[in-house]
Amino acid sequence: MEETSFYQEYEVFSKKSVKAPIQHQFSLLAPNEDMALTMALENFMRREDVLDVWVVKRSNIRAMTSEERMNWTNRLDNKDYRKTKGYGYLRQKWKEKEQGMLDEKEIMSWKEVKKK
Amino acid sequence: MYHYIEYGSSESPHEDQEKYERFMERIEAGEKIEADDWMPDDYRQSLIKLISMHGISEIMGALPEKEWVPKAPTLKRKLGIMAKVQDEMGHGQLLLRVAEDLMKPYGKTRKDLIENLLKGDLKFHNVFHMPTRTWADAGMVGWLVDGAAIISQTNMLDASYGPYQRALQRICQEEVFHAQHGEAIIMALAEGTEHQRDILQESLNRWWPSLLMFFGPSTADTTGTSKQDIMIKYKIRKSNNEELRQAFLDKYLPRVFSLGLTVPDETVHYDEEKGQWVYQQPDWNEFKQIIKNNGPRSKERLRLREIAYKNNCWVREALSKEAVGS
Amino acid sequence: MERGEEEMIESAEKAKQDPIYLNALKDLIYQLADDDFIISFRGSEWLGLAPHIEEDVAFSSITQNTMGHALMFYNLLEELGEPEADQLAHERQSNVRKNAIYFEKKNGEGHYTEEPYYDWALTVVRNFLYETFKKVKLEAITKSSYQPLANVAGKVLMEQPYHLAHWKIWFNQLYHSTDEAHERLQARLLEASEEIGDVYELGHHATEMEHFELMISEGTLRERWLNEVSKTIQEFPSIDIGKKFGSGREGDHTPDLNQALEILSEVYESDKDAVW
Repeated sequence: MEETSFYQEYEVFSKKSVKAPIQHQFSLLAPNEDMALTMALENFMRREDVLDVWVVKRSNIRAMTSEERMNWTNRLDNKDYRKTKGYGYLRQKWKEKEQGMLDEKEIMSWKEVKKK
Repeated sequence: MYHYIEYGSSESPHEDQEKYERFMERIEAGEKIEADDWMPDDYRQSLIKLISMHGISEIMGALPEKEWVPKAPTLKRKLGIMAKVQDEMGHGQLLLRVAEDLMKPYGKTRKDLIENLLKGDLKFHNVFHMPTRTWADAGMVGWLVDGAAIISQTNMLDASYGPYQRALQRICQEEVFHAQHGEAIIMALAEGTEHQRDILQESLNRWWPSLLMFFGPSTADTTGTSKQDIMIKYKIRKSNNEELRQAFLDKYLPRVFSLGLTVPDETVHYDEEKGQWVYQQPDWNEFKQIIKNNGPRSKERLRLREIAYKNNCWVREALSKEAVGS
Repeated sequence: MERGEEEMIESAEKAKQDPIYLNALKDLIYQLADDDFIISFRGSEWLGLAPHIEEDVAFSSITQNTMGHALMFYNLLEELGEPEADQLAHERQSNVRKNAIYFEKKNGEGHYTEEPYYDWALTVVRNFLYETFKKVKLEAITKSSYQPLANVAGKVLMEQPYHLAHWKIWFNQLYHSTDEAHERLQARLLEASEEIGDVYELGHHATEMEHFELMISEGTLRERWLNEVSKTIQEFPSIDIGKKFGSGREGDHTPDLNQALEILSEVYESDKDAVW
């Protein structure tokens, strides 16, 4: 009897709304991916909206090792050039020229342009 | 997804000492330990013991309440208690997954957990060895037994072990529903007919000793072993057994009395000076017997689990190969 | 009441105006409610005993949904002047229940609290056959002349596809796995084919149901159901379907239903004055 191979590990991910990213939920044991998928929904999302579910066999995920997590995820705080913070002086410059700053709030509000 | 350091690795004790110090620094700083991080052996062992017992207790705990699922008195109660017992099975699922990942370095799986339970090596919580005789017992389990469980589980919400902490977070959120589900059953009985109030009081009388025993003895002197110190040292839980019991009495005794119920201990009172509840100790010898699977319903509950496991063996066997089509 | 081609009955008040219409309508709803109720009762007995924990949790959601559907149908009856839902579920004797007999069959040997030798093959076969049937019957009912019923059928069909898919996966996977599993399923299929013949019957009011366009005919229902089943099981008989124990739609039942009623009404009956 090879009962142990019934218990395959699957990681379960789900998506709550169209705007939400897919999110890790938990893991479950199932004999194959179709079974994993049919069980995933009611095991982890009984009380929340769900639009999509992924199941991924755990052995197919190349995650960081413990050591990699510790060694690869530390960053120096010297990367202002990569963020708007490094360009903050522009606000004053534009102000002198009587122009507003095109900051995140402004740019993200450009969803609609004037109809011609 | 996780990568494990082999158990009994050949690393020198010196290196282990360094790792141990680093580990303690991390948990002192409130960091979470993950399944594939280095951890001291007694940390892993204690977690396996704690979490597998916690998980299997959820699975075994579903059985006493489940007796009342098909019998629940209205459609809404049938649905409510079904959802609640389903959650208990679900909590078992979450916790066993956490325990299974910890056991991986030893090559152990779900199968071993269930078989250890059936052999009597893996124990389940004392409270689930008791009979549920009436519908009021279904309410009592939902209200006070779950209330006690909430006290002990919320105490571990900051546990240093990440996967356990995350499972507990999910579990405790669902417990809020359980608490209200239990209260709703109790409230209807307490405000109900004479028969309903009678079965409620009778149920509380029977459950009282089990509720006191729920958190375990205050010290190891009573039963010989206690893991409470190591659990606190490794920041898995915060409070000891007696502190948890007092917190339970604090939260629930005033509610018990407000419903016009009594507890079968005339000495129970709150000592204002000491700031704690005074109560008669339950029979700890009985406790010892119960946790050895010699409780009133231990054998029957294990038998149910055994039948469910063995009788469905053909199903798991059938799907052990990659299934064709679907 | 003469029915015109497109007349819709929008409310309980309107349905109550014609006793012949009303009786046919109530009988149809009883069938739907009692089927869902007894299937979900059998499901609730399984809780905690399924082949593995993850399935136990998933199965219980389906059971809860199904009991929720029963409640919606009982509520429709209440609107039509029948007693309230809990009375309908807990008090009615077996001879007035309208579920198909196969659905009341015990889950296997034993009792859910003692020696429950429940059979997963029976559960997979039964639930698969039930959900295929429920799908075609409710699809037909979405076009029913009684608008409130058509609306409920539409709602139920929103969550029912998951149930059907779940049992289809179980059936297909076990059926095509080991010889043992295949044989167990086949034996249960054979048993079903001998007993399930009352499922597509519409009972004493069949003619009126068709006449008032409450429902399609028995023949069409049967044909659609078998067609749906054959998408998954080619071997399921299309001619020799028996009804060994009679017709549940006409109130025939087995002792298994009484066993179920005794359990499910035990607390309810213990204090009839009580509010639970």
